[in-house]
Amino acid sequence: MALAIEAVNLVKEFGGFRAVDGVNLRVEEGVIFGLLGPNGAGKSTTIRMILGLLKPTSGYVRVFGIDVERNRREVLRITGYMPQHFSLYEDLTVEENMRLYASLFGLKGGEAEERIRELMDEFVLWEFRNRLAGKLSGGMKQRLALAVALLHRPKLLVVDEPTAGVDPPLRRYFWEKFRELKRRGVTILVTTHYMDEAENCDRIALMSRGRVAAEGTPLQIKRLAFGGDLVELVVEGDPRPALDGYGARLVEFEGDGSYSRIRLLVPDASEALVPLTKMLEQRGVKVVRAYPLPVSLEDAFIRLTTGR
Amino acid sequence: MRGMGPLVALVAKDVKQLLRDPRSLTMVLFMPLAVMAMFVAGYGEERSEVPIVVVNLDRGSISWQLVESLRSSGTFKIVAYAATVEEGTELVRKGVAYAAVVIPEGFSDSVLTGQSTRIVTVLDAAYATVSELVWQSAVIATQAFMKKASELYGTFYIDVERQTVYGPKVSSVDSFTSTIMGVLLHLVPMSLIAVSISRERERKTFEQLIMAPVSSWHIVFGKFIAYALVTVADMVVTMAFAVYALGVQVRGPLPALLAVSLLMLLCSLGMGLLISAASRNQLQAYQAAIFVFIPSMLFSGFFMPVELLSPTARLVSRVLPLYYFLKAFRNIQLRGWTLADVSQECAALALETAIFLAAAVRVLRLKVE
Ligand SMILES: Nc1ncnc2c1ncn2[C@@H]1O[C@H](COP(=O)(O)OP(=O)(O)OP(=O)(O)O)[C@@H](O)[C@H]1O
Ligand SMILES: [Mg+2]
Repeated sequence: MALAIEAVNLVKEFGGFRAVDGVNLRVEEGVIFGLLGPNGAGKSTTIRMILGLLKPTSGYVRVFGIDVERNRREVLRITGYMPQHFSLYEDLTVEENMRLYASLFGLKGGEAEERIRELMDEFVLWEFRNRLAGKLSGGMKQRLALAVALLHRPKLLVVDEPTAGVDPPLRRYFWEKFRELKRRGVTILVTTHYMDEAENCDRIALMSRGRVAAEGTPLQIKRLAFGGDLVELVVEGDPRPALDGYGARLVEFEGDGSYSRIRLLVPDASEALVPLTKMLEQRGVKVVRAYPLPVSLEDAFIRLTTGR
Repeated sequence: MRGMGPLVALVAKDVKQLLRDPRSLTMVLFMPLAVMAMFVAGYGEERSEVPIVVVNLDRGSISWQLVESLRSSGTFKIVAYAATVEEGTELVRKGVAYAAVVIPEGFSDSVLTGQSTRIVTVLDAAYATVSELVWQSAVIATQAFMKKASELYGTFYIDVERQTVYGPKVSSVDSFTSTIMGVLLHLVPMSLIAVSISRERERKTFEQLIMAPVSSWHIVFGKFIAYALVTVADMVVTMAFAVYALGVQVRGPLPALLAVSLLMLLCSLGMGLLISAASRNQLQAYQAAIFVFIPSMLFSGFFMPVELLSPTARLVSRVLPLYYFLKAFRNIQLRGWTLADVSQECAALALETAIFLAAAVRVLRLKVE
């Protein structure tokens, strides 16, 4: 698989302060890659270095193999960017903004016309086309910003908190768009504070204080946070003696004498559940129910970033 | 004392905000000092002498004593001796000298025989302040000469007569038109465009703009052309208002005046763009624009012809676009020169514009820091 983004040892200092402190990222082509982390973790700064908007104090970035500091314009032609803060011209109308960027990206007459119309339909902007961008509602601004980022059909889409301040239906719509783009082969780098959204990412990097604290699929991140998967069992009696010496850590126990509900930490829930049930039955503990316990990414996130 | 709490809080807030913008603060503190220093350097040193032409038709020894008295007055620098009145007047007309002092034939005889005689000063009315100075100094020098000479040769009387080229009299509206146009064409477009890029930075639109494959060349010239188109209309209207509504007289061709004004406008825009490319926020840009304007005002012939300033100030003036503009504009408006006559000044303006634009393209960084 080709690498869409390769960021190596990125460091950014502002004055004496290290906002980004040795970040390495490898984003494969065609994936949705989530960059998560608390406020001030350095996500936007990392993104700006990836796009060549900030010069790294040290380290380098390649986008589809192209060095960003050296050949930035080539990178721009294949990259779309939606910044964290609305950055289009508030004193131009929706249509004027789109036309401007279409021209800047070299879209010609009819082609530009068609593309603008297409995106206006897709993002429900047509009826607002003559409204000043500054007069749009928050959600409309985000739709316009995304439409502009997609004008030149980029291979890489970088979106910094696209769903901040966006209502649930539109959030869902945005994520449907991202998945659709992914199906068409577009690579997406996205930051978000919504963990339900992050579950949609193929891979996640969790940033904390300028560093990547964890990286992997959402599942891997959760395992990393808790040291494995959680499974929950409802059994008769007290299973605790039976669990002695078995490779699973008991994290929660709740019993009323006749039944108990236990939570165990295992390396892999799907593999562990059957042998675990068998083992308990063999040792005379009747298992009523056994199932993997979904942990939320949010729990994992808080655990990994606050160290609790 | 109801309401003092919020007032104190607001004062404290604003003081903090002022102190936390060190660049602007330095500018605020440094500006008055710098301006005073400039002023002293330009105007405080002994001032330069006014170039004049002497037409000595008499050639007798006494007339040379008068010439000596003019020279030693400290006001004049004799840059040429002309053989005829026409030749002397022509030198004034061309701007080589601000005045010609004509000593008539038979001057020495008149003095020796105790008759009254007169010398003629041919003044350049296009520069009202200078011609006034020349006239007064000529009278004083002549009186000094009379006093000294009468001890030797007995009483006589010399009258100082006044003639003008480009005269008879230039109204103050006419002579201030160039100054007003200079301010309008320099300060207004420069400060307008100076904040243009930093405004995009502050509003964050710059971050999106530089994600398009544009170069700093595109950005600089995009702004340059747009602002030129808008401000040119303004310039033409102002000029038309001056000429047709206020009745400002223009001796030279009006298109030439417009051409010179256009060049000045473009040069100001170029200068403003350089400031814009170099500054981080709008406030800085604005202050820099004002700061740049001050030496222009002091050293470009705004208040007083550059020739009368100190040698240092004259040197500084040579890099100021406004100096070339005022010179060209006045010569066209008041002396009736044509565009060809001011081609050097035009070339200087065009060259400076090109330098400013090239520098702006170089200085502008397509980064958000
Ligand atoms: N231009 C700058 N000058 C100085 N410090 C900066 C600058 N930009 C960012 N920082 C600092 O760098 C750190 C990282 O900021 P960044 O915007 O990258 O965080 P983030 O992860 O995007 O946060 P958020 O989720 O709030 O958007 C912060 O502490 C911020 O104050
Ligand atoms: Mg951010």
